[in-house]
Amino acid sequence: MITLNTLERRTQFVGLGFVTPTFLIIALILIYPVVQSIILSVGQSSVDGFEPYQFVGLKHYAALMVDDRFWRSLSVTLIFTAISIPLELILGVGLALLMNETFRGKGLARLAVLFPWALPTALNALIWRWMYNADYGLFNAVGLESGLISEPMNWLGDETLAMASMVIVSVWKTSSFMALIILAGLQSIPRDLYEAGRMDGMSRWQEFREITLPLLKGSIMVALIIRSMDALRTFELPFSLTDGGPDSATETLSLYAYKVIFEFVEFNAGAAIVVVQFAVIFALSLLYILTLRGKD
Amino acid sequence: MKFLKKRIIAVTAVSTILLSNAVFAEDLVLSIGSRGYGAAVGPALESFEAANPDIKVEWLKVSDVPSESRKLYVTSLMARSATPDVFSVDVIWPGEFAQRRWIAPIGEDFTEEELAQFNPSFMEAATVDGKIYGVPLYVDGTQFFYRSDLLEKYDLPVPKTWEEVIASSRTILDGENNPDLSGFVSMWAKIEGLFMNWLSFTYSNGATFFDENGNVTVNSPEAIEATQTMVDMLYKHKIVPESILNMRPDDARTLFQQGRAVFMMVQDFVYAPLSADDSPVKGKFDFTRNPYFAAHPDAPATAMGGFLLAVNANSEHRDAAVKLVKHMTSYESQLAAAVNESKSPGLMNVYDDASMQDNQVLQKFGKAYAAGVVRPSAGTGSAYPKVSDAMQVAITSALHQSKTVEEALNDAQATIEKLLDQ
Repeated sequence: MITLNTLERRTQFVGLGFVTPTFLIIALILIYPVVQSIILSVGQSSVDGFEPYQFVGLKHYAALMVDDRFWRSLSVTLIFTAISIPLELILGVGLALLMNETFRGKGLARLAVLFPWALPTALNALIWRWMYNADYGLFNAVGLESGLISEPMNWLGDETLAMASMVIVSVWKTSSFMALIILAGLQSIPRDLYEAGRMDGMSRWQEFREITLPLLKGSIMVALIIRSMDALRTFELPFSLTDGGPDSATETLSLYAYKVIFEFVEFNAGAAIVVVQFAVIFALSLLYILTLRGKD
Repeated sequence: MKFLKKRIIAVTAVSTILLSNAVFAEDLVLSIGSRGYGAAVGPALESFEAANPDIKVEWLKVSDVPSESRKLYVTSLMARSATPDVFSVDVIWPGEFAQRRWIAPIGEDFTEEELAQFNPSFMEAATVDGKIYGVPLYVDGTQFFYRSDLLEKYDLPVPKTWEEVIASSRTILDGENNPDLSGFVSMWAKIEGLFMNWLSFTYSNGATFFDENGNVTVNSPEAIEATQTMVDMLYKHKIVPESILNMRPDDARTLFQQGRAVFMMVQDFVYAPLSADDSPVKGKFDFTRNPYFAAHPDAPATAMGGFLLAVNANSEHRDAAVKLVKHMTSYESQLAAAVNESKSPGLMNVYDDASMQDNQVLQKFGKAYAAGVVRPSAGTGSAYPKVSDAMQVAITSALHQSKTVEEALNDAQATIEKLLDQ
């Protein structure tokens, strides 16, 4: 017994030795900026560097609490995430199932699905901005020509339409990323499970519900967490597509923080926004992990 | 003794090398937009280096989009970087940059006479607490473009007032009966250009941003009336398309160039593409100074843009840097840029030069700049970006009719008063 314990301890020790460097690196590149942001957010630094950093407590957070624009950008971010992620998930699962089938031109189809994701977001947004243009854009031209709409729509100039337009671009671009992760999960499901199911007389729908979906849980969780974090941090899309407009209807937290830091040159106030954003993302990721793991 | 001698020689040798380095090899970094003034930079640097063989200048080509180069400057200046030594600053930056102690005062390096020759509204923008922090390199600003063929067709004069713009737009729109045609387009998206637009409208109605005592007056009756006119052009007179609320300068330019607008107010850089050979409106358009309201024929109306040259407060080569600024903004350099590259000079007397008389376009631009409005960046200092943003928010909410003009401007007034009291 004693020898086994020693062996166990030794194994643990070796294991610890292997993960420690990784943890150290993660701590350096992940925890350091977070700590630094928190320090910035509770202080006041002078831009020209003539005065030293001063601790001011929760002043910047208190200011955020009464800042309409902060609340608006927070709700814009949450609404954007809440609408686009479920759409991307449904579309992503659909695409993954499709790509998992064997059919002619499968390689080509996979390539086509991946294409939107491979394009840089900023470039993407520029192309879409053009297509959305109210006066000479593609959508209005096609819509008017085909009789779908009777007068030109002001896609990016109307508050609700602008949010919808942003969601459409995001779904178009990132559903394929969801699909890719889920496809990997699909391919790891053993074939014989389906064979057994078929022997039991399962329908396609039952197969999907009883076999595919439960075994995909892990991949879906990974896809959801990664994409939600992305969505909560969305910056390039509104930056290039709408610049947060009209009014502040598409101004996400990241875009607002960017404006506070680089345009207003107030990095302490900006850091407070970033820290709140970090807390939201952290809480949401925790929620995902707890709910999805709990059911296993 | 021998040892000491050796040491003295060594020290002398080293210090001679160091000294000669300091005297003979001053390496300046000049940062300036690659397109905007780009073609004029090369020749100016050549003549500068020929006249100052001891100074080498490295040209850092930055973006011409002010918000992009600003981001670059803000990050390096915040870190108190010594480079770039000399850089081009947008006319709205000196107030803020000076207050943050990012740029050095250079007014004392010029004579009174030299300073008096520079565009006065630009010098106003560069003056902070009585000190001058930059001198103009080139100026631009909003101009009023019109379709001369359409005015001729309906026998209408070139409009001088906003009232005429509205009436003539109505006449032409009714006569043409073309759903794709608009009366007036401009940049009314929530961008800096919207604030410029608003200043053009309000100043041309006798309003000002600050009164003589430095109090903010953005909700004055004149400002409210002018802003209401903008709203009315959109919803009441219906001469402005609703898509204007999302237009940047180039969106307006595209519509006008497609022959889909009668009037347009944007910066002068659109002149080149509009008059290009493949432009559908080539030969069918012209421009004039921005309109004013009928009751205020003397009001200034051209919102000024453009760039000044400033010296980094942390530059290690201040004297050489000032020399470079002086050279690039000299009569000769500005004349060359005007004649060869059609850049409107920041020195007023260049417009009178004999070799400029053939350049009708530049002459006309220059005349409009005499009626210039600069944005209130000098007076608002480091708060300017927030002030401009507050104004963009207020004007946007009035144009979207989510607030009345009066509510919107009262809100802006309150916000800005709070910002400036800090």
